[in-house]
Amino acid sequence: MLIVEGLDVRYGGITALRGVSVRVDEGETVLLVGANGAGKSSLINAVIGTVPSVAGFVRFQGRDLGGMTVDRRARAGIGYSPEGRRVFASMSVLDNVLAGAFGVGRQRQREAWDWLCSVFPILAERQAQPAGQLSGGQQQIVAFARAMASFPPLLLLDEPFLGLAPVWIKNISDAIRALQARGTTILMTEQMARPALKLATRGYVMRGGEVRREGPVGVIRDVALAEEYL
Amino acid sequence: MSLLRRHAGEIATILVVAASLLIPRFTDDPLPISLANQILIAITAAFSVYLMLRMNLLTFAVPAFMAIGGYAAAIAGLQGGVTDAIALTALSFVAPAIVALPIGVLVLRLRGVYFVLVTFVLSEIVQLVLFETPQLTGGSNGLVGMPSTTAFGIELADNASVLVLTAAVALAAALVTALVTSLCRQHFAAIEENEPLAQSLGLVVWHYKVLGFVVAAGLAGMAGFSLVNMLLTAHPTSFGPGSSVNYIAYTIVGGRTSILGPVLGSALLVTLTNLFSNQGQYSQGLYGLLIVVVVLVARGGIVGTAMALVRRVGGLRPATAHLATGTAAPRGT
Repeated sequence: MLIVEGLDVRYGGITALRGVSVRVDEGETVLLVGANGAGKSSLINAVIGTVPSVAGFVRFQGRDLGGMTVDRRARAGIGYSPEGRRVFASMSVLDNVLAGAFGVGRQRQREAWDWLCSVFPILAERQAQPAGQLSGGQQQIVAFARAMASFPPLLLLDEPFLGLAPVWIKNISDAIRALQARGTTILMTEQMARPALKLATRGYVMRGGEVRREGPVGVIRDVALAEEYL
Repeated sequence: MSLLRRHAGEIATILVVAASLLIPRFTDDPLPISLANQILIAITAAFSVYLMLRMNLLTFAVPAFMAIGGYAAAIAGLQGGVTDAIALTALSFVAPAIVALPIGVLVLRLRGVYFVLVTFVLSEIVQLVLFETPQLTGGSNGLVGMPSTTAFGIELADNASVLVLTAAVALAAALVTALVTSLCRQHFAAIEENEPLAQSLGLVVWHYKVLGFVVAAGLAGMAGFSLVNMLLTAHPTSFGPGSSVNYIAYTIVGGRTSILGPVLGSALLVTLTNLFSNQGQYSQGLYGLLIVVVVLVARGGIVGTAMALVRRVGGLRPATAHLATGTAAPRGT
């Protein structure tokens, strides 16, 4: 579904990604593990198009994404939940979630909202409240639901567990399982790999802007253990 | 009910502006009528600033589009013999909107201060064009001698009917502003708060920015028509680039978060300017100072501050709620 091949990304003179190749097949949940600065978010940003690549290509459902604008990539079916729970603080919870379904008809927005409320009851309880007033975990749920509101075939989750209390980690994990049950393909990054490893089928270990290891989740766990990500 | 509450500002604005249609029934004293005229024109122009600020875009181009609207109506009256108020109002909206479309497509890619600069330059360019094309615009003499406007065959020549026309134009502008900001409420809010994020969610940001820019240009053009109609002349000095500061001041002092802001700001500041009219030459400097003070002390302007007070007194939300806006996360790359 998603093929990244030989990708190079540079910020000014600094190389953030060097020859990175990653693939995510339909229905998989793939985990990117690595420390701060390993290049995980750069890879996600290159896929959604906010960061230009200088070499290599990104292909989604057989289409080359090179030269496509950020909004067109999102419309092509790539959902994105940013790190650090970036919600629209002044907008209501409902408006935040519907912002993920810009350009989708009213009827389908309604359906998406109803389904999301059944998975995350907190959304219905807080729907009129400004998202900026919610707790960190609740904001992560909002960012999450927003990324799902258009039912994208591919979902990119950047550090969904970062800085969350255990109760929210469990909640988000349950939500990711619900999405997996719907057949959503997921690519997620995580520094705190333990809860994420329970969800993923395959993974990549990144360091210094390169992919160091790839393999099934067991292999990734061993590498992550050795490199002290757990 | 929630729909009513959400659009309370829009409804109040439309009612207030509509009520101004009745002013001539209560007085025929030229002073209050002239003041009401000035306020309503200021409101119409300030709507243009307000609409752009909903997308976090500050525009200094209001005088440019006012000039295009005002001159289009004057030329249609002088050379085409058009006097129908509805046709002239429509023309004063459409002409600047058409001009704004290609400009918007070009300049709305610019962010922040670069966009602001371009809008200011636009006002300067239009000013220059007005002076340098005397065959069309009368140059430094301006255009005079337009036939009086008519509505449904009735001539609108006296003070009272000029005010009624100005009020009707302001009402139309209020309706357009309310309609556009309501239909695009979520989109504008997302662009205002975090444009890159909105884009990464699939919002085609520049579509909405161009739409807003084109409509804002049309609103300014309507204000230009009202101004020309009131002054009985289209003259470059009515549309000086410096006057853009006034319209920005009306909007920011009144409050940029609600459509009531430009209404209250215009009413207050135009009235004050008239009160201190012997010091009129200082008004733009004072407006600039006022913008600085409002931005530093009360960012929501009059309406925003009043709403915050009501909320605090009513205890609708705990005061600490604003602090819980999520912890800053360390950046991964």
